[in-house]
Amino acid sequence: MKPLFTIKAGGPTSWAVRVVCAAALVYVLLWIPTSGSNSLIDTATTALTLMGAALSLNLLLGFTGQISLGHSAFFGIGAYTTAVCVTRWGWSPLKTLPIAFAVAFVVGALVSLPALRIKGVYLALVTLTLGVVFPQFIKWPKIEWLTGGSRGLTDTGFKFDKNNRTFELFGWNPWGNLRGENVKPFYFWIAVVIVLIIYLICRGLVKSRVGRSLVAIRDNSTAAAVMGVNLALTKGLVFGLSAAMCALPGSLTAMKGTVTPDTALLTVIGSITFLIVMVVGGAGTLWGPIIGAIVYQFITEKTGDWVEPDKIPSLLRPFFSWSKTPPAAGIFGLSLVVLMFVAPLGLAGFWKQVVGRVVAVVPKPAGSTTLEPTAPSDGIPTWQPEEPLAEQ
Amino acid sequence: MPLLEVQDVTVRFGGIVALDGLSFEIEEGHICGLIGPNGAGKTTMFNVVSRIYQPTRGSVRFRDEELLTVPAHGIAKLGIARTFQNLALFPSMTLLENVMVGAHSLGRIGFGRAISRIGAASDNRRTRDHAGDLLHQLGLGALAFKAADGLPFGTLKRLEIARALAAQPKFLLLDEPAAGLPHGEVDGLAETIRGIRDQFDLTVLLVEHHMSMVMGISDRVVVMEFGRKIADGTPAEIQNDERVIEAYLGAPA
Repeated sequence: MKPLFTIKAGGPTSWAVRVVCAAALVYVLLWIPTSGSNSLIDTATTALTLMGAALSLNLLLGFTGQISLGHSAFFGIGAYTTAVCVTRWGWSPLKTLPIAFAVAFVVGALVSLPALRIKGVYLALVTLTLGVVFPQFIKWPKIEWLTGGSRGLTDTGFKFDKNNRTFELFGWNPWGNLRGENVKPFYFWIAVVIVLIIYLICRGLVKSRVGRSLVAIRDNSTAAAVMGVNLALTKGLVFGLSAAMCALPGSLTAMKGTVTPDTALLTVIGSITFLIVMVVGGAGTLWGPIIGAIVYQFITEKTGDWVEPDKIPSLLRPFFSWSKTPPAAGIFGLSLVVLMFVAPLGLAGFWKQVVGRVVAVVPKPAGSTTLEPTAPSDGIPTWQPEEPLAEQ
Repeated sequence: MPLLEVQDVTVRFGGIVALDGLSFEIEEGHICGLIGPNGAGKTTMFNVVSRIYQPTRGSVRFRDEELLTVPAHGIAKLGIARTFQNLALFPSMTLLENVMVGAHSLGRIGFGRAISRIGAASDNRRTRDHAGDLLHQLGLGALAFKAADGLPFGTLKRLEIARALAAQPKFLLLDEPAAGLPHGEVDGLAETIRGIRDQFDLTVLLVEHHMSMVMGISDRVVVMEFGRKIADGTPAEIQNDERVIEAYLGAPA
């Protein structure tokens, strides 16, 4: 089947589409904190937190093929770095972000040392250990003076004061304020900035020589080395960078006020959650974790409401009438199964397939050939074949 | 001065001796055929030169520089590129991207410049054009945007050559490039190999079981058996060498 439209990559149409999409994104980002309900802003902030963590994991696992089940620990390192800096040394929370980034980078790079020798399930086990040990380490009595032990730390975020400054543009204030009256938009915007930073780092890497070498390591590391990719250095840097980026959304959770070692995202549950978000969205794609986090948070919130039998939609009620416990988890799991069945490459891959049926993107020609790429018949663009060299 | 000097190289895997004191030389600009029965150690030799295996003994000198102290990822920069017998492509990438990775050793964009995008776009454009030209030259231009996964074996063998050439090597190791090709295409491939040797000033080490091709394009032929060199000479000399006929070629019927 021939796609209906053909767009040239880098042509005016493709730029128009980009501008429209960017405008829509900015509109949504402004609409949420100004017109959305408080719970919507909370939901969006949580989704952005997951997005940041899943994007970091995606760089390591989706693109480079190095599995990590220890990202909850890096997330926690971010949270605790911020919490400790704020409570013990009175830092301003935003200034702790670079510190969290640096600390997690060092730990991540150290964890990469075993990753240079092992791969697959063995690497999964080693990193899983990190994820399991982290909350226990925080509770260790000898460092309780620093971390607050299992009770955690409180007052780890911003200090609200009636005299804090606000920024208003002609009476319009999408940012919220820190006078304690309207703080949710403020967290939302920090989350947006964090995700933007992480996204730009990932995008810059992926669309470059480095990104190609990462996928090469994932696809065939021996061949990558023969092409000149320094496996040890590259894996170490990616591990460190992925850990460092994951610490930023962790930091954000601490900025909201309290941190305890049993917070779900700081335990292994967190690692699994990031993994689910990434896979649902589409591993190894730039937009996968972004779509995944939105969908994941949406399903979680929806099914989370269904604690009373009469809150379950009537269509689904008969299937869960036998259950005495709230069916939220079951419905959530089932929807994931269905999702993975419909979109095995994640939602981003599914989206590409669907759009590819309708719109064909013709890439720019590569090299000094004068042949124009032609509209594809099967969604894959092609050139008019030249005389192959072999038949000359 | 020879381009590559292999001296007394021994590789042991546990109790098995894969290479046993192997020595030979390759002159610059030659196409050197490396032949021998299966298990003779030809691919092991390739893996030693591309630093995938560390020999227990011996030395490999390239342009008078010891290769055995260079890390695996440093080989490409010295000007050595190779293809793989059983394909070692990047299946999730398009043909174009595969060749772009081949040019990795020529690039200068590291983590810092990739994230800050300083010079990254122009580097991408240059690499992409370079890769596109190579694909066209090897007759794969029409497939540039197809994923490497699932294409015919012969096409992928050719893609491996394009990827190896992307590094602008001086020395190219081809591991059975004609394997899996239909008979009619073997002559075309031989023509391609000779063509790229002349165009890019290459020295080629060729492992191949297709005798008419090896004898047709090689300037010299090295014959191996059980990890040792048993003969070394021009194709004509090799075809008349009794040991080679006995070990590998077989007596003419």
